[in-house]
Amino acid sequence: MDPKITELSQLFERFKAAFVRKDFDTCAKFLSQLKVALTEFKSLPPLFEETPNAIQERTLARDIYEHAVFLSVKIEDQEALERDFFQLKPYYTDTHGLQPSTQEQPILGLNLLRLLVQNRIAEFHTELELLPSSALENPCIKHAIELEQSFMEGAYNRVLSARQTVPHETYVYFMDLLAKTVRDEIAGCSEKAYDSLSINDARQMLLFSSDQDLVKYIEEEHPEWEIRNGFVFFQRAKESTPCKEIPSLQLINQTLSYARELERIV
Amino acid sequence: MAAAATMVSSAGGLLAMLNETHPALKLHALSNLNAFVDYFWPEISTSVPIIESLYEDEEFDQRQLAALLVSKVFYYLGELNDSLSYALGAGPLFDVSEDSDYVHTLLAKAIDEYANFKTKAAEGNDESAVVDPRLEAIVERMLDKCILDAKYQQAIGMAIECRRLDKLEEAIIKSDNVHSTINYCIDICHSFVNRREYRREVLRLLVKVYQQLPSPDYLSICQRLMFLDEPDSVASILEKLLRSDNKDDALLAFQIAFDLVENEHQAFLLTVRDKLSSPKLQPSEPAQSGSSELDSVQDGNATSSEDVQMTDRTQVDMSAPHTDPNEAIYAERLTKLRGILSGQTSIQLALQFLYSHNKSDLLTLKTIKQSVEMRNSVCHSATIYANAIMHAGTTVDTFLRENLDWLSRATNWAKFSATAGLGVIHRGHLQQGRSLMAPYLPQGGAGGGGSPYSEGGALYALGLIHANHGEGIKQFLRDSLRSTNVEVIQHGACLGLGLAALGTADNEIFDDIKNVLYTDSAVAGEGAGISMGLLMVGTASEKAGEMLAYAHETQHEKIIRGLALGIALTVYGREEEADTLIEQMTRDQDPILRYGGMYALALAYRGTANNKAIRQLLHFAVSDVSDDVRRTAVLALGFVLYSDPEQTPRIVSLLSESYNPHVRYGAALAVGISCAGTGLSEAISLLEPLTSDVVDFVRQGALIAMAMVMVQISEASDSRVGAFRRQLEKIILDKHEDTMSKMGAILASGILDAGGRNVTIKLLSKTKHDKITAVVGLAVFSQFWYWYPLIYFISLAFSPTAFIGLNYDLKVPKFEFLSHAKPSLFEYPKPTTVPTTTSAVKLPTAVLSTSARAKARASKKDAEKANAEKPSGAESSSTVTNSGKGKLSDKDGDSLQVDNPADKKAEPEPSFEILTNPARVVPAQEKFIKLLEESRYVPVKSAPSGFVLLRDLRPNEPEVLSLTDTPSSAAANAGGSVTGQQGSASAMAVDEEPQPPQPFEYTSVPDKKECRVNPSIARQGWQECASD
Repeated sequence: MDPKITELSQLFERFKAAFVRKDFDTCAKFLSQLKVALTEFKSLPPLFEETPNAIQERTLARDIYEHAVFLSVKIEDQEALERDFFQLKPYYTDTHGLQPSTQEQPILGLNLLRLLVQNRIAEFHTELELLPSSALENPCIKHAIELEQSFMEGAYNRVLSARQTVPHETYVYFMDLLAKTVRDEIAGCSEKAYDSLSINDARQMLLFSSDQDLVKYIEEEHPEWEIRNGFVFFQRAKESTPCKEIPSLQLINQTLSYARELERIV
Repeated sequence: MAAAATMVSSAGGLLAMLNETHPALKLHALSNLNAFVDYFWPEISTSVPIIESLYEDEEFDQRQLAALLVSKVFYYLGELNDSLSYALGAGPLFDVSEDSDYVHTLLAKAIDEYANFKTKAAEGNDESAVVDPRLEAIVERMLDKCILDAKYQQAIGMAIECRRLDKLEEAIIKSDNVHSTINYCIDICHSFVNRREYRREVLRLLVKVYQQLPSPDYLSICQRLMFLDEPDSVASILEKLLRSDNKDDALLAFQIAFDLVENEHQAFLLTVRDKLSSPKLQPSEPAQSGSSELDSVQDGNATSSEDVQMTDRTQVDMSAPHTDPNEAIYAERLTKLRGILSGQTSIQLALQFLYSHNKSDLLTLKTIKQSVEMRNSVCHSATIYANAIMHAGTTVDTFLRENLDWLSRATNWAKFSATAGLGVIHRGHLQQGRSLMAPYLPQGGAGGGGSPYSEGGALYALGLIHANHGEGIKQFLRDSLRSTNVEVIQHGACLGLGLAALGTADNEIFDDIKNVLYTDSAVAGEGAGISMGLLMVGTASEKAGEMLAYAHETQHEKIIRGLALGIALTVYGREEEADTLIEQMTRDQDPILRYGGMYALALAYRGTANNKAIRQLLHFAVSDVSDDVRRTAVLALGFVLYSDPEQTPRIVSLLSESYNPHVRYGAALAVGISCAGTGLSEAISLLEPLTSDVVDFVRQGALIAMAMVMVQISEASDSRVGAFRRQLEKIILDKHEDTMSKMGAILASGILDAGGRNVTIKLLSKTKHDKITAVVGLAVFSQFWYWYPLIYFISLAFSPTAFIGLNYDLKVPKFEFLSHAKPSLFEYPKPTTVPTTTSAVKLPTAVLSTSARAKARASKKDAEKANAEKPSGAESSSTVTNSGKGKLSDKDGDSLQVDNPADKKAEPEPSFEILTNPARVVPAQEKFIKLLEESRYVPVKSAPSGFVLLRDLRPNEPEVLSLTDTPSSAAANAGGSVTGQQGSASAMAVDEEPQPPQPFEYTSVPDKKECRVNPSIARQGWQECASD
């Protein structure tokens, strides 16, 4: 066996050990080393050189990136998640001859969830379109799809209740985040729909358990709202779109110049 | 699919990697992205900001790689500016030698940018602007690479474009064939360098390079120096050559002088001539005083004064041997050189050639004369014009003398033109011009009784005779101008003076003409306006402002028009320098001044094919409200494009289909002007439909333009020439054809056979220099729309198409060379025959009449004739005076025809013909000219036409001269021993000059209508002159 691979797999073992220990700082350190080490291998995407150990190397690399993804969920780092996922993706889409990974569906679902949380609906659907129809049946992915549908319908209660039925442990983190996304959405709608709400109504509407939470939320996220006399006032910027002016002068000029040009036609 | 399998489907992974914290990962991502950018640029483009920030990160050690990547992405996005700036940031990673679209595109962009920058810096004189050193480095790398790879032409092009004269020099010197490289350089310099100033810089550099060469090419150097207007250097080169012991060097000097003369830059030539230092025995003093003496002799016989001058020179030459043989040789050579530089020698030789080879067809004229209606004065004078043009420079005025009765029907302005026509016929007859015109000239003391019209015409004629070489006649014309108050005479004198003093910028003359202008008389003022322009051609002098001011002041449209043209003439060839003036004129309220502005554009940018000028002209052609301005704008395109005739038909083709007849007319003339003498097929195709246009004056213009294009093209090379001749004949004979197109047809037949069928219209000299006289001539000619007498200006554009070989004594030795093409391709058109006398069978044999053998026989005959003439000059001259030159040549042709039926027409046409010096060589024929080996003479420079100095390989054998009917010549007395014979020869020559025709007796029928203007456009302006 190639010494480099041995070395790499040893390092990976240590990473996994730390991962199990939940020593995430050490993990991050190991992961960084692992990634740098991976750049040495020519058989990996995007080069895909057919080296003798290509299959083995790719499998190893895929494992590493899969763990990287889970690690980033654990340390609740969305950006790292996105990065790692994209680096992992070629192993799913472009490499042939590898054993399909058991982690593939959960990770894809995780990614969908992430997009949902970040409210990147367009990308969500793009990703969805790229999946084969068989994958849609997978519980992980189905979960994400259902969530999205409820989200779009406005059935926010269904979204929140879905937290109980997560198909994979890592999803919990995102379900919490999703609650916040839902709240933001509701806040946005209320703002449009009402001039003011009683604090009580607002609390119910925004799914807070106490008035303090509500006040805190307003202070953090919507400083432009005003709490007065037990009411929340949504001070929408009264930007009345100015009625469009008809560019009459410009049109007249244009018509005249056409007429003039016509006369000059050779 | 295998290939696809080894490809990632997205660059997303790599892009994500860019965000990693570890630099090694970033680097890995970058280098991989760089490798895959060709496929994934759309994906990468969304992440460009990240990569940019990497490039801007000072810490990151692979910034250049990031820059290269961004540059490539921008390239794919089509943002070349951004791409270039990042490529510059990539430093050495941007590999100039890489063979990819990206690199090619960016290099082109870089060079463009650099060139732009340099040009802007140079034009704005902005020293502070500093070029990005990285950009400069790339361009230099590219230049060096080209030079290393021996791609000199590329390197030269780039160096010129980028204004890197240092690199240009390097490229030229390193190239394997310096001479051809320099020639290439000159070519592109003239065709692609638009800024006049910069072109001069390049040429100056070339001269420098030339001079460093071990065997300098003096011919080219002098041409360049002439362009740079540095008479001192030319003079010193010529002097060096003259003082050389080697006779060949002297020949070379003569050749240079001839070449310079061909460019018709009078002022320059005169300076060179005066800069040549005199030999150390004060011989040139008398020679010069001779010419001034000539000036001072005013009313006396001009011929005698010439003789005085000649004897002076002879004495000088004779006195030379007393002092120092070297100086004597120098003095002798100098005299010759001065003769050449003053233009006299070449004019004289051309005159002899045109006279001896005159093949004009009097029968055509006769047909025209007979078919023209008696009372139609327009066609009547058109016939006179056609005659003058047909015989331009041949001195053959048989037609006039045979038809004195008919001629006398010309009255008033027609009389003016008829008299002026003599000037065209005798063009270049410098020695005897005055005596020829004497009967018509205003007699001293005023009120001599002659008609002012013929007197004015005679003055104009003198100008035409002496056009651009008017030193001897200037004074006389000035006096005539001052001593008259008759506006017709003033008009003639102004035109004459302008022609004679073309481009000399003589202030005294200018003041004289200005006085005439300020009399505010319409007719005289118009002449004065044009004349001022002629005088100041190409000087861009302050005087233009003065003229413009007066144009605003005066009420007379004729004066404004004259001035407008005059102002335009002053900016001839000044390109950008003229922009202010052009702007001023083209924005004027007065359409006539805008019209002048078009001419200014045309002349300032003559032959440059400058895009800006073309764009401006096209703009005016479609947007001005005045038809005159539009017509002129289109016409002006012809001038701007004449250096590139193939372009013109394409550019004006749309305009030639305009609904506006004025624009169509302009398009026709534009093609006529720029394609003159080329016989360009596209030009003919464009003009053909216009010759049967619905509007009469468009037909007129198209016919004239067609004639200009087809001049000297034989039917054998383009069958449409024959068709055109028949069309002309038909129009002329057709009773129902209207006057305008009839006039056009008559003029066209004149132009088609111009100068005894031995001249063409040429606006560029062989060295691609623009011929100022020719261009000016055509510009003023195109004014005939308003004023018919200006038609004669076309004669300035005529240049004889001849190969004239000269020996050391500037004589024409007998010398044969080869034209390697079928004779029928370039032969003279067959003379028209009276249909009743010639049978159809005879016609085809006429084709053979100029076959090689016949030709040889003809030349032998010529030679015999010449020999016969020698001993008995009186006899031959009597023959000549009795029968008239034209007849003689006709008779020649006849006898050949009679001879020919003997050799059967089955005989195949030979594929070559032998020509004898001097010979007619039409421009299309030039590439077929070959010199015979083992010939006695070898030309100094290999040129297929024009004046060529011949080196005599067997100097000891006696020479046979072929043009022995040399009229009096200053150079004639070079050989002392043959003085006696020479004397008789020159005496004979004087006799042999055609006698001045009898003064016409004009029956004075006052007829206002004679004062002419194009009938259909007579709406404006001409009332002024009618009322006179």
